[in-house]
Amino acid sequence: MKLRSETAEIQELLGKYCRTGEEVALPGITEGRVHHYRRLVYNAVKNTMDQAFPITVASMEEEEWDKLVHEFFSKHPTTSTQIWKLPYEFYQYHLSAGTAGRLKKPYLNDLLYFEWAEIEIHTMPDKSIDPYTDKGDPLSDKLLLNPEYEIIRLEYPVHIQAVKGIELKKGSYFVLLYREPGTGHVKFLDLSILHAFILTRIFETGESVQSFKGEIAQLAQVESEKYLDNHLTDFVNNLIDRQMILGYRKV
Amino acid sequence: MKGSVGIGLRRDIADEVLSSDIIHPDFIEFAPENWMGMGGYWNRIRQRAVEKYPVSCHGLSLSLGSPEELDWNFIKDLKVFLDENKVTVFSEHLSYTKSNNAHLYDLLPIPFREDAVDHVADRIKKVQDFLGRQIAIENVSYYTPVAAEMTESQFINSIVEKADCKLLLDVNNVYVNAFNHKYDAKVFIDQMPLDKVEYIHMAGHEQIEEDLIIDTHGKAIIDPVFDLFEYTIQKMHPVPVLLERDYNFEDLPAISAELEKLRSLIKNHWEAVHETSK
Ligand SMILES: [Fe+2]
Repeated sequence: MKLRSETAEIQELLGKYCRTGEEVALPGITEGRVHHYRRLVYNAVKNTMDQAFPITVASMEEEEWDKLVHEFFSKHPTTSTQIWKLPYEFYQYHLSAGTAGRLKKPYLNDLLYFEWAEIEIHTMPDKSIDPYTDKGDPLSDKLLLNPEYEIIRLEYPVHIQAVKGIELKKGSYFVLLYREPGTGHVKFLDLSILHAFILTRIFETGESVQSFKGEIAQLAQVESEKYLDNHLTDFVNNLIDRQMILGYRKV
Repeated sequence: MKGSVGIGLRRDIADEVLSSDIIHPDFIEFAPENWMGMGGYWNRIRQRAVEKYPVSCHGLSLSLGSPEELDWNFIKDLKVFLDENKVTVFSEHLSYTKSNNAHLYDLLPIPFREDAVDHVADRIKKVQDFLGRQIAIENVSYYTPVAAEMTESQFINSIVEKADCKLLLDVNNVYVNAFNHKYDAKVFIDQMPLDKVEYIHMAGHEQIEEDLIIDTHGKAIIDPVFDLFEYTIQKMHPVPVLLERDYNFEDLPAISAELEKLRSLIKNHWEAVHETSK
């Protein structure tokens, strides 16, 4: 390498200062100026996190939030070349650092993940869509799901309530997030475990609902076939209205 | 694109740039990093923009000035993106944005030193070879030199020569640096390799201390920067000129008027000279 190690060290020292804010002795600088670099660098990261995690920000004191951003940025070497992907690294960092336990905010990981998932679904690369029609039978025909979706599992219902008192609601929650084809907006829906099972199964196998209705009946512990058919028909039609199910696969 | 006037495509004004009557750029510029690998709503905006306008790209994270290795996975994606979007001019900053393998998302000043010249020129050459095109490197605003052993203009000249690359001359940055480091902006322009300029940036800035200006791209271009622009373009050949505006878009007609002002200055100098030399 043509760069002298001394020059490289000076550059890295400035980089380190920008990441940590801990003062360093840099040669040949104008007094009172270098702190602007720390400010600009940190603000770029902080603004990105503020925008990515508005619910998390609102759930705690500003100082506490600032500490989380500072800790992340000073300890974690950021790898995203694209700053809009940085919130995922933030979530990952705090998950592995055990921040939720340390702050006695057991819901924190879920909250960060839920807020990140919204960005992820909004920006994920476009997926190709198989041919479909809007005419068909909700139960016996094969359904085509909107491929731009994700079902996430949470321990705390951060998608339906504020964090106050949420510690008492520990359980198993499923949230469907998907991108509306026309607008590109992200929509989310609270799902029962049964509905999560049905959607995942359709997506993975492409089967009609009818073809695994026996398993659904067992899981749901429903004996009346008529009741189950009505329920499943409503479920499918509702998701068609919401554009989570695009229609019926063309054979 | 020569002699044309463009604007940076920011999300806040994407709708207006695509469909309103208020703003009429000849071309648009965007940062690949803000759009690469992205689907959905913003991808559609990007597609529409690329269909409507010629596109130049201004990179953010190549980090040409870093001590560590270039990120070849990123550069491969970048090449695909530039080709897909039929990008005419690709530029990057003469600075570093990554240190100890951590991204910093802002432009840090490279020490103006001979070894850094060799190092950075080498990296620019490697990137140019891989992309199969010359790139334009931009003179950046800086708020303090760091361990300099030569002047900024020597640094820029040496790199452009050794790397055999183009220069993106940011006229506002020259003004900002001249103010912050107390030198004469016109003398600096005279020292630049103007024959290598491929592209010009113009922008507003903010004076935050008595002796310090920060390059914010958030305000209108001030008259002394327009004057410096006029001074500069009289000395060089026509190139595309871009208005950089990153936020504060409330007064779009005023931004549109800035584009018009740049157009009329260009017309006065570049087109007039072109006419008389016919
Ligand atoms: Fe610029």
